[in-house]
Amino acid sequence: MKKIISLFMMISVFTLVLAACSSKEEGKGKPAKLVVSTWGFADDFFRPEVYAPFEKEHNVKIVVDSGNNADRLNKVRQANSDVDVIYLSDYYAQQGIDEGLFEKIDAAKVPNMKHIYDQAKAPNGADYGPAYTIAQFGIAYNPDEVSAPISSWKDLWSKDLKGKITIPSITSTTGPMFLDAASNVSGSKEFNEDKAFAQMKKIMPNAVKEYGQTSEFVNMFSQGEIAAGPIMEMYFGDLKEAVPNAKFIAPKEGGYAVMNTVNIVKASDQKELAAEFMNYILSKEVQEKSAKAKIDSPVNTEVKLSEKEATGLTYGDDVINSLRVLDMKFVNESSKQWIDRWNRELAH
Amino acid sequence: MKKRYLYLLLLPGLLFLTVFMIIPIFLTIGTTFINDHGFSIQGYLDFFKDRYFVEILLTTLRVSLFTTILCILLGFPAAYYISKLKQRKKAIMLLLTIFPLLTSPVVRSFSWMVIIGKNGVVNKVLLSIGLIEKPLDILYTPTAIIIGLVHLFLPLIIVTLVGVMENIETDLLKAAESLGASRLAVFSKVVIPLSVPGLVIGSILVFVGSFTAYTTPALLGGKQRVISTFLYQNAITLNEWQVASIVATIMIAVTVLIISIMNGLAKKLNPKG
Repeated sequence: MKKIISLFMMISVFTLVLAACSSKEEGKGKPAKLVVSTWGFADDFFRPEVYAPFEKEHNVKIVVDSGNNADRLNKVRQANSDVDVIYLSDYYAQQGIDEGLFEKIDAAKVPNMKHIYDQAKAPNGADYGPAYTIAQFGIAYNPDEVSAPISSWKDLWSKDLKGKITIPSITSTTGPMFLDAASNVSGSKEFNEDKAFAQMKKIMPNAVKEYGQTSEFVNMFSQGEIAAGPIMEMYFGDLKEAVPNAKFIAPKEGGYAVMNTVNIVKASDQKELAAEFMNYILSKEVQEKSAKAKIDSPVNTEVKLSEKEATGLTYGDDVINSLRVLDMKFVNESSKQWIDRWNRELAH
Repeated sequence: MKKRYLYLLLLPGLLFLTVFMIIPIFLTIGTTFINDHGFSIQGYLDFFKDRYFVEILLTTLRVSLFTTILCILLGFPAAYYISKLKQRKKAIMLLLTIFPLLTSPVVRSFSWMVIIGKNGVVNKVLLSIGLIEKPLDILYTPTAIIIGLVHLFLPLIIVTLVGVMENIETDLLKAAESLGASRLAVFSKVVIPLSVPGLVIGSILVFVGSFTAYTTPALLGGKQRVISTFLYQNAITLNEWQVASIVATIMIAVTVLIISIMNGLAKKLNPKG
């Protein structure tokens, strides 16, 4: 018994010491804290190249909270997080906006908004966060594994691709885009839900699996489980690394614009600083850096890239203007029904 | 220390479980019976009328059942062998047995992807010796889930079985042999019945584990859903906590049901146990 008591004592003394240490540290410089919720990819780029200069200039400590769209949005929903700025794809940002989780943006505080593409200014309505990058959702394929080159969405329905592709899950950002593509392939000009699902049913024998995260796609592609599939252009670099012959194409019916947005959380206590940060990531300087590092395609029109710098990126007026843009409000209103139909009619 | 104060030692653990497990579970179950009009079981009725959900439930049960049977078939002989070893060797073998448990399910699932994939080891070997002409589709099917789960849960059943088998007196086996029982008879008439308690506990662990497993089915399974991935989709992506709670309650109910069925079976098999 004595031993146990002394062990307890030791542990409690130890924790007290630790607690004392940590509180001392907090008292020192008192930089403000800005919590940024983001996906967490390319962290080794963002930390030194993007966060560090901002931290220095504004005497602020940036804390990153990483995870996928759904998880992070849920944290904000449950209101027990201290997130100030949140990066989300437009699909998830719309959900947050409809639930009143985000602050309206005062454009005067984000002067760099003037310099970005019109499409990027207000992907979810004029009052909310801009897109800091636009990626293209198109098709990647391995030319050695398919019998004919792929050039359109329609080609993914080819019988030759039986058991050779993957498609995005309806719950992922690009799921609704692919559903729209299916509607298009079915011959309908406007989006037609019934036709889209009927068309989707026809592609299921080709799909080995639905992917929820792009990393799954990259994995299946590098392991040779799939030969083709719809994917965002920004991940094509990873594919090419594994399969040097891989090709990315913008389908001739048009690729889709995937917009990644930034928003300020309503419950944030650092709204001024958050707006500064938003302005900062839209600046020519940051946009150029992330473009040259091939992390994010730029939306700032002042960024000029050479042809080599632009490969793998969604860059240039004509490319951006050719992209199809989904109405996220409509997508969000319909998504529950789509997910339900998808589960019932397709996921077997 | 006086004996009557000993129960105080239970308090910290009990408090922890009450606050962090028992209360949340009851809250979860409670909400599923309440809708806009007060008490209702409509949510459950809707579920069981829904062929789609019943299909997911059946798939999950089927996968869990196969996993359990396979684990018993593979684990029983292994456990018997290990229980017969000398102390030192036994320790080493047990360590090797639980080794798979020390790696994360994600890593394990990824290694299975490499092994049973289209260009995986299994298909390459079978192709090169000419047994098959086209790669087998194993990955992204329920078979892949079962393989992954057996790998995951085999240690559990072996460890529980070894524990029980160790306690079978060697004198009993000798007595049986001296009374003229063949080795096979000793095994089937003495060893198996006496191992039933371990078998039951092990099977329950494996079954419940497979029934609720998320990572393995999510990574190795294909388009087909199992109940835990369905729950995840509802809770995390759709934000449908009511539906997710109903699914969770059904999972708890099925688990309790299975445990009582297995216990009943065990009593029948081993009436004096």
